[in-house]
Amino acid sequence: MKKIGVLRFLGTNCDRDVWQAVEDVGLKPEWLWYEDQFQVADYSAYVVPGGFSYGDYLRCGALAAKAPVMKSLGEAAAKGYPVLGICNGFQILCETKLLPGALVRNEKRKFVDRWVSLNPQTQTKWNAKARAVIKLPVAHGEGRYYAETEELKALWDQEQVWMTYVENPNGALEDIAGVCNKQKNVCGLMPHPERAMADWMGGADGRVIMESLLG
Amino acid sequence: MDNLADKLKKYRLSKDEYARIESVLGRAPQGVEWALFSALWSEHCSYKSSRVHLKKFAFNSPRVLQAMGENAGVIDIGHGEKVAFKMESHNHPSFIEPYQGAATGVGGILRDIFTMGARPIALANFLCFGRPEAPRMPQLVEGVVAGISGYGNCVGVPTITGQTEFHDSYNNNILVNALAVGLFCEGDPVVTSVAKGNGNYVVYVGAKTGRDGVHGASMASESFASDSESKRPTVQIGDPFFEKLLIESCLDVMKQDLVVAIQDMGAAGLTSSSFEMAAKGGVGFKIHLDRVPLRDTSVGPEEILLSESQERMLLICEPAKFEAVKKVFHHWGLDASVLGEVYDGPEVELYWKGDLICKMDPKILTDNAPVYNRPYQKWAPKKQTAELKAKDLNLIDVLSSVEGTSRRWIYQQYDQRVGAKTARDCDDSVSVQRLPSGRGFGLVLGCRPHVMRVDAQVGGYDSGFYPALELAAKGFRPLAMTDCLNFGNPEKEEIMSEFVAAVEALAETAKILDSPVISGNVSFYNETLNQNITSTPSTGLVGLRESVENIPRSHFTHKGDAIYLWRLPQVELVGDQLGRTPQFKGAIDAQKAARFVDAVRVAVQNPSINSSRVNGKFGLGYTLARMCTETLGAAVDAVAGGFWTERLYEVVLAGPESVMEPLQKAASTCGSELVKIGTVTEGTLQLGPQKHSLNELNKAYNTGWSQNFAQLA
Amino acid sequence: MKIGVKILPKNEVLDTQGRAVEGTLRAHKREVSQCRVGKYVQLEIGENDESKALAKAKEITEFVLYNPLIETYELEVVKQ
Repeated sequence: MKKIGVLRFLGTNCDRDVWQAVEDVGLKPEWLWYEDQFQVADYSAYVVPGGFSYGDYLRCGALAAKAPVMKSLGEAAAKGYPVLGICNGFQILCETKLLPGALVRNEKRKFVDRWVSLNPQTQTKWNAKARAVIKLPVAHGEGRYYAETEELKALWDQEQVWMTYVENPNGALEDIAGVCNKQKNVCGLMPHPERAMADWMGGADGRVIMESLLG
Repeated sequence: MDNLADKLKKYRLSKDEYARIESVLGRAPQGVEWALFSALWSEHCSYKSSRVHLKKFAFNSPRVLQAMGENAGVIDIGHGEKVAFKMESHNHPSFIEPYQGAATGVGGILRDIFTMGARPIALANFLCFGRPEAPRMPQLVEGVVAGISGYGNCVGVPTITGQTEFHDSYNNNILVNALAVGLFCEGDPVVTSVAKGNGNYVVYVGAKTGRDGVHGASMASESFASDSESKRPTVQIGDPFFEKLLIESCLDVMKQDLVVAIQDMGAAGLTSSSFEMAAKGGVGFKIHLDRVPLRDTSVGPEEILLSESQERMLLICEPAKFEAVKKVFHHWGLDASVLGEVYDGPEVELYWKGDLICKMDPKILTDNAPVYNRPYQKWAPKKQTAELKAKDLNLIDVLSSVEGTSRRWIYQQYDQRVGAKTARDCDDSVSVQRLPSGRGFGLVLGCRPHVMRVDAQVGGYDSGFYPALELAAKGFRPLAMTDCLNFGNPEKEEIMSEFVAAVEALAETAKILDSPVISGNVSFYNETLNQNITSTPSTGLVGLRESVENIPRSHFTHKGDAIYLWRLPQVELVGDQLGRTPQFKGAIDAQKAARFVDAVRVAVQNPSINSSRVNGKFGLGYTLARMCTETLGAAVDAVAGGFWTERLYEVVLAGPESVMEPLQKAASTCGSELVKIGTVTEGTLQLGPQKHSLNELNKAYNTGWSQNFAQLA
Repeated sequence: MKIGVKILPKNEVLDTQGRAVEGTLRAHKREVSQCRVGKYVQLEIGENDESKALAKAKEITEFVLYNPLIETYELEVVKQ
């Protein structure tokens, strides 16, 4: 069984939750520490967890984007390995330009924690099975997706809008909750699938994302 | 040179205390000794006005592993799991600078938890604000909530429950009490602050020291004067990112068994941590203050001793393990520096650039602090009436009032799910986390200020029984509690009388519920310009349940369910909210109330019970309205006692008719009664002759916040 | 007239952002002896007299833009 690489930066705080979710679907996680580069062939997929790397100081994801581990991740992304960035992980992928656009402060300038419904807009390596509406929790202060008009149009044309909100919690342009790269192996999502892995959590729809790692 | 009166004022010591210092030292205090006595003999550190009464909380329970005296209490919950928890106040700093005050309150309580070796898994907060129209109040609300959310979310610990009160007695003195819970899994060590081992290193880790919060501990022990503006330079800045690194590195060195003892540099900073650690271990320290890492090189020895710069720890380790300790901290981007060493003692010796500037037996400071038995009166209920007279309330007014409206604006700003353990969040009356063993861990806050204003003794009982009943209504057995005793000026007899009445009632409740008070703090001098706050002994109760499945909901779930009222009315009361005159009659029989709590807990294990809620503030009318959803309402005919008085204690349950018989049987075993009062319906809530559409109710409940705080919406 | 307001954390106050940025710069061998992160606010003030515009900006800044507990500020006239 190949391992799933879980990236860890100073300040990352959803790392252990992602670890647990990967184990829950029967796979083996392994930490990838921010200071170290890695052999991309050693892992079958990568997750960049959420949660305040470097305290969100300067710009969300900006300081993490410069870490050595991101060099290797860029290589993995180019080779077509599945890469998922969740919340702050999504912000980091945007800062490294592995994904288009940026995530800026919520329209109401307040952190927002609540459950949202999402419409998958396209099939990627991270939702081979999910076609219908899924319910996941969001928890972020800077999750408003932003891209310039031209770029937004291109995203829709190239089927790079991955998920949209049914009810927009943060003022994201065109209700965008997640995007992917052109090759659809690199995906970013503001909501947290790892917090929706069982009914007792309030919902188990996060499994459809994590289970796509099973191939 | 200052004269004595000026010095006493600067160091906030009384003439009697000065005389005591002279007698324990056998001479006048010199140099930094002034600062040491000022900090460690402050109310905040020494509990000098409350100590004689706090002893009343003490009792033995086999599940208690650590109680008062350590950074936090720890209980054994079986299956190899233990929990540490504690609540602490940060009232005065939050009034001065709401964002940083609240944020550093959260940071401080988290450090108390993880210094024990527990990984923090939950935060909760108990907030009391003044009226929305009071000066600065919207900004205070906004700043405090932003501070809690900014710190808790970033450090990665979910805020899973809270309580927020509004009353004009808090207009000039808000309350910000933060609670944290930590979990030990199988094999995680419980680490204490008892220093040991001749030759061991005294190590400083974490952030560098600045002038932040110098004299903070003694400031927290003083009433606010109107010139509190001038006390402003003492504001401390919290850094949740740094704290996160400190959590990971500290837990790492403890797990690897690299440290002997550890303590947070909290109130009174290095002074309290070093002298307390040495005193507990009965050892001496040699500490070189010039080795303390500084943010600003102009900071002198006295400021180093008193600085309350955040995110710093003092630890003791064997010299052979220091390199390993340092490696762990470096991994997490932090420094560790040796300040000195442990020796047989008994004195703590402080050096500055090679010169011995202070040499003192720490027990002089920690064990000889003055103890005051402040005057108080034996409690006599004042507002007891023969028959309650209260006008009915208008449900829509209640739901849209600042007391009754939804707190979603607040808790939507908290990350309630990081850690992936949350089963029930701030939306519910009891928050629940799923432990690695699969069991449910319940957390609920207590103390209802409107009950305290009616009667401090009833309020003291209620601070234990109400949250215990909330836990029981969800099937949780209460296990232990923490408290944060927020009171006014203890030098005033009426305040001290309320304190003693509430503490004694709470201590009795804890004993009868077998839920010992294992940690907490006392915050006196919540007094501004001679106005004292409502005496507010806030509590946090934890409970356990075998699983997280089939926990009754706090709202209605099935149309057609019968609605039951399970009652043991001992006290009837009308609170002073919405301009009503406070009144009550009756008395709490603690034994009976405890049997009721236990009977409820056992009975709700029946998986057919769909909904449960404890009847609370305002009375049954408000409680039933809170159980309605967007689609499900209720039809309830007249109820004995009406909809708008509170009865301690009552529980509302909903489920199929089949649950009535077993529930009635359970009720009869504890001298209580159970009656069917109505049915779950669709679209409306009918209370006797009054009928309200759910749209109207939900609108009032959901827009009340923005009506009261237009600027914040 | 355009007035710029430069707001920085006070020297004696811990600057959490500055500390984090400094750490990352160090890790990438871009050593600086200190880094402080602040805010910049530009105010378009309907006033042609420089001293009057500065006085207005000062009033606005002290009204809400900066927190005297933890921050300092400097005003500058922005050349068109």
